[in-house]
Amino acid sequence: MTSVVQARAGNIETHAPQARATVATWHAGVWLVWALAAAASVQLASSPVYVALLVAIAALAVSAHARPGPYARAFPVLVSVGVLFAVVRTVLTVATTHGLGTVLFTTPHVVLPEVLGGFTVGGSVELPVMLQSLAEGFTIVGVMAVFGAFNGVVTHSELVQSTPRAFYEVGLVVVVALAFVPSTLAAIGDVREADRARTGGRVVRRGRLLRHTVPVLELGMERAVTLAESMDARGFARAGASPRDRAAGWWGVASLLALGGAFVALVGQSRTPAAVLGLAGTLGLAAAVAIASSGRQRARYRPTRMRRADWTVAGIALIAPVGLALCSIVGDGSLAWYASPLRWPALHVVPALALLPLLAPVVARRRGLA
Amino acid sequence: MSAISMRGVSYAYPDAERAALTGADLEIEPGELLLVVGTSGSGKSTLLRCANGLVPHASGGRFAGDVVVFGRSTRSHHPRELADVVGFVAQDPEAQFVVDHVERDLAFVLENLGYAPDAMRRRVEETLDALGIAHLRDRDPASLSGGEQQRCVIAGALAAAPSALVLDEPTSQLDPQGADDVLGALTRLNADLGTTVLLAEHRLERAAPLADRVVIVDGGRVGTPGAPGALLAGYPGAPSVTRLGRVLGWDPPPLTVRDARAWAAREPVDLPDPPERPHHAPGEVLLSALDLRVDLGGRPVLRDVAVEIRRGDVVALLGRNGSGKTTLLRVLAGLLAPAAGSVTTVDGARAAYVPQNPNSLLFEPTVRREVEQTLRLLGTRDHGDVDRWLDALGLHDLAARHPRSLSGGERQRIAIAAVAVGGAPVLLLDEPTRGMDSASRRALDRAVTQHAESGGAVVLATHDVELAARCATRAIVLGDGDVVAEGNARQVLAGSLFAPQVLRVLPPFLTVEEVERELTRP
Repeated sequence: MTSVVQARAGNIETHAPQARATVATWHAGVWLVWALAAAASVQLASSPVYVALLVAIAALAVSAHARPGPYARAFPVLVSVGVLFAVVRTVLTVATTHGLGTVLFTTPHVVLPEVLGGFTVGGSVELPVMLQSLAEGFTIVGVMAVFGAFNGVVTHSELVQSTPRAFYEVGLVVVVALAFVPSTLAAIGDVREADRARTGGRVVRRGRLLRHTVPVLELGMERAVTLAESMDARGFARAGASPRDRAAGWWGVASLLALGGAFVALVGQSRTPAAVLGLAGTLGLAAAVAIASSGRQRARYRPTRMRRADWTVAGIALIAPVGLALCSIVGDGSLAWYASPLRWPALHVVPALALLPLLAPVVARRRGLA
Repeated sequence: MSAISMRGVSYAYPDAERAALTGADLEIEPGELLLVVGTSGSGKSTLLRCANGLVPHASGGRFAGDVVVFGRSTRSHHPRELADVVGFVAQDPEAQFVVDHVERDLAFVLENLGYAPDAMRRRVEETLDALGIAHLRDRDPASLSGGEQQRCVIAGALAAAPSALVLDEPTSQLDPQGADDVLGALTRLNADLGTTVLLAEHRLERAAPLADRVVIVDGGRVGTPGAPGALLAGYPGAPSVTRLGRVLGWDPPPLTVRDARAWAAREPVDLPDPPERPHHAPGEVLLSALDLRVDLGGRPVLRDVAVEIRRGDVVALLGRNGSGKTTLLRVLAGLLAPAAGSVTTVDGARAAYVPQNPNSLLFEPTVRREVEQTLRLLGTRDHGDVDRWLDALGLHDLAARHPRSLSGGERQRIAIAAVAVGGAPVLLLDEPTRGMDSASRRALDRAVTQHAESGGAVVLATHDVELAARCATRAIVLGDGDVVAEGNARQVLAGSLFAPQVLRVLPPFLTVEEVERELTRP
C-alpha cells in the first residue's frame, strides 16, 4: 500500500503534516497528569478546607480552559452527581449509625431482623455522625469535580491519539463510548417529549420507565451498529495486531491489575504489599509502553506530541501530591479531619501551599498560541 | 472489466424467513452513476451492502453467489480489506463519525490504510476541497447541520480515493438545501474524478436526472438497469414531471422540470382550470394562537406568530431549516411554553404532535400493541379506533410485525397512527415524509385527507412541497421566525421557490392527479 501511495505522490515535493493545536490549551497528557495529581491530592488532604480549595482550582480550570462542545457541561453535571451521591450516603449513614455523640433529634425507628443484620434504621440523628459523613461525602464531590474538570478541558480525540500503539484500539473504544453520552442525553429528551406528545400533553406515570428506556436503548444500539459498520468500511483494524502489540497489551493488563491490587492493599492499610504491587505495576506499565513503542509505528495524522512546556507544566502539577505526601509523613494533623471530638477543620500554610502547583496549567498559557 | 460485478447473489438475514435478495445479477461499469430505486424493504439496502462485503460479513445470514469488486471477491475480502476501493455511506450521517473533529475523522481511513504522513496530508486537503468542506475542518461534527454532516461523512469515505462510492439514501434525512449540496458534490465527484457511484434514493426529483442508469429492486429481485426516463416512466415513485409526461403521452418522459417545459412548449396542453379544493373555510376554529414569541438560547425563534386552525384544514407549514417550524408545532402541542402570546383550543380540543423521529416513540413488540398503548395510557376502553387508523395508514398487514424491524417510512406511519388514535382533532405532523417511499407517502396522503374531511385538522411541517401540493388546503411560509406568506395553498405555492414540479410546468395544476382528472373529464 505504501509504495502505491508514494508512487502517486511522484516527484512532487510534499510535507509531512505538522502538529497543529486548534485550541489554546495544554496537551491532553498534561490534563491527564493534572487530573491524577488533583485526585491524589483529594485523597491525601481529605479535610474539607483542602477539598474546598481543590474544587475551586477545578472550577478555575474549567472557566479558563473549557472547550466548546458536548462536554462543556461535564463539570456541573458531574459535580451535581457527586453532591447527590454524598447526600444519599449521608442520609443512609445517619439513619443507621447510632450511639456516638450529641443527638440532634430523634425520628421513628425500625429494628431490622437479625437476618438482615439487625440494624436500627431511623432513631437518633447524631451530630458527629452527620458531620463526619458529610465531610467524607465532600471528598467524593472533590473527586467528581476533578474528573468533571478533566472532561471539560481535555480533547478526547487527542487523548486517544497520544496512547501507545497497543492501547490505541482500547482508547478508541473508550472515546466512541464517551461520544454516546451526549447523544444518549439528547435521545432521552426526545423520548420524554414524544411520550408526552402521544397523550396530548397528559403525563402518565405508570409504565413510564419502560416507555422511556426501551427507545433510548434501541436508538443507542442502532447507532452503535451503524458506527461499527462505518469503521469497518473505513478499514479499521485492517492491519491486525502484531505479536508485539499483543505482548504489550497483556503486559499492560497485568500491570493495571497489579496497580488495582496496590490500591486495595492501600485501603486495607497494608503498606508493604501496597508498595510492592504499586512498584511492580508501575514498572510493568512502563515496560508495556516501551514494548509497544518499539514496534512499527501506526500511521498517524498530525500526531500531537508533548512539548517541553507541556512536560514542565505536568511536572509542576505533580509537586502537589508529593508535597502533601511529605506533609502526611511529617505528621501534619490538619490533612484529615474527624468530627469527634468536634472542632473546626484547621488550615495549615504548608499543605495549602502544596496545592498551589495544581494551578500551573490553569493560570499558565501555552506560548505561541492564540 | 466491470467496477462491481454481482452474479447470482441471493441472501437472507439471520432468522429471516424470506430472502432479502434472490438471484441478483448486476454489472456496474467504471465511472457510471447507477441509481437504485425500490420501495422500503425491497432489498435496496441489502444490494448496496453487498457491494463492499458488509453483507454477509457484518450481518451474517445465508449468502450465495459472487460479488467481485475491482477484481476482489467479497467472499474472501472483508469490508475493511475493500476500504481502499469502495467507500460506503449509510443513511444516518450523525452515527458515522469516529472522531469528534472533521479533519481527523477524514484521516481515519488513511491511518487505517497506513498512508505515509505526507500523502495523508495531501489526500485530506484534496478531499476537503472535493466536497467543499474546507471551512468545516476544525469543527466538531455534532455541531454541523445535516447536509454538512453528510458531506463530511462522504469525505470520510472518499479520503482514500476509492474507485467506487456506495451511498444508501444519503439525502433522506436532509432538508432540500442539504440534499442539493450532497447530490451536487456527488455529481462533481462522478464527473471530475470518474468515481463510480452506486446510489439508492426514495426522492427521485433530484436524483433521477443525475443518473446514467437506473435499476429497480422489487421484492428482493433486481431488475435490468436501463435509461432513467424509459425505466421510471412506469414506476410509481417516479418524479412528478415524469408521471406527468406519461399521463400526457410525452415520449420519452421528461426527468426534469426543464425537459417538461420544453415538451409543454412544443405540445401545448389545453385544459380548463382545476376546480378549487374542497374548501372548508367556514369550519369552526379548533385552535388559535396569538402573538406567539419564543426565544431559545437567547435567540428569537418565533416572533409574533398568529395561527388559526379550523375544522377541515390541512395546513402546510413551509420554510427552511431553523425557520421555526418545529418550534411552532411544539408550542401548538403545548410541549413548549411561549415567552409571550397564547394558544387557545376550543372545547378542550387537543392537539397531538408526532415528532420527526418516530424511533423516539416506538417500544411495543407489535404494531397493533403500539397503537393500542396510547389508548391504554389515556384510559380509553373503546379500542375501535385502532383498526380505523391501522386501515387509514395502510398498516393492517403489518399489525403483527415488530415496529423496529420495519422501514423508516413504515415506522413513521406507525408513530402517526399511535398518536392520532388518541382522538385529538388537531394532528401536528413534523416532517412526516422523511424516509418514506411512494407507497407510504400515498397512505399518508389518504389518512391526512380523511382526517380533515371527517372534521379534524392537520398541520404538516414539511420540506416536501409535493406533499403540500397533494394534501394542503392552506399554506404558511415561515422565515426566520416570521410568517412570510399565508393563504390558499395553490396561491402560496405558485410562483415561489416552493412550487411543486407540476405547478412549474402546467400552472395552476398542483399534482399529476389533478391533470389526470381534467383529462378524463367527459
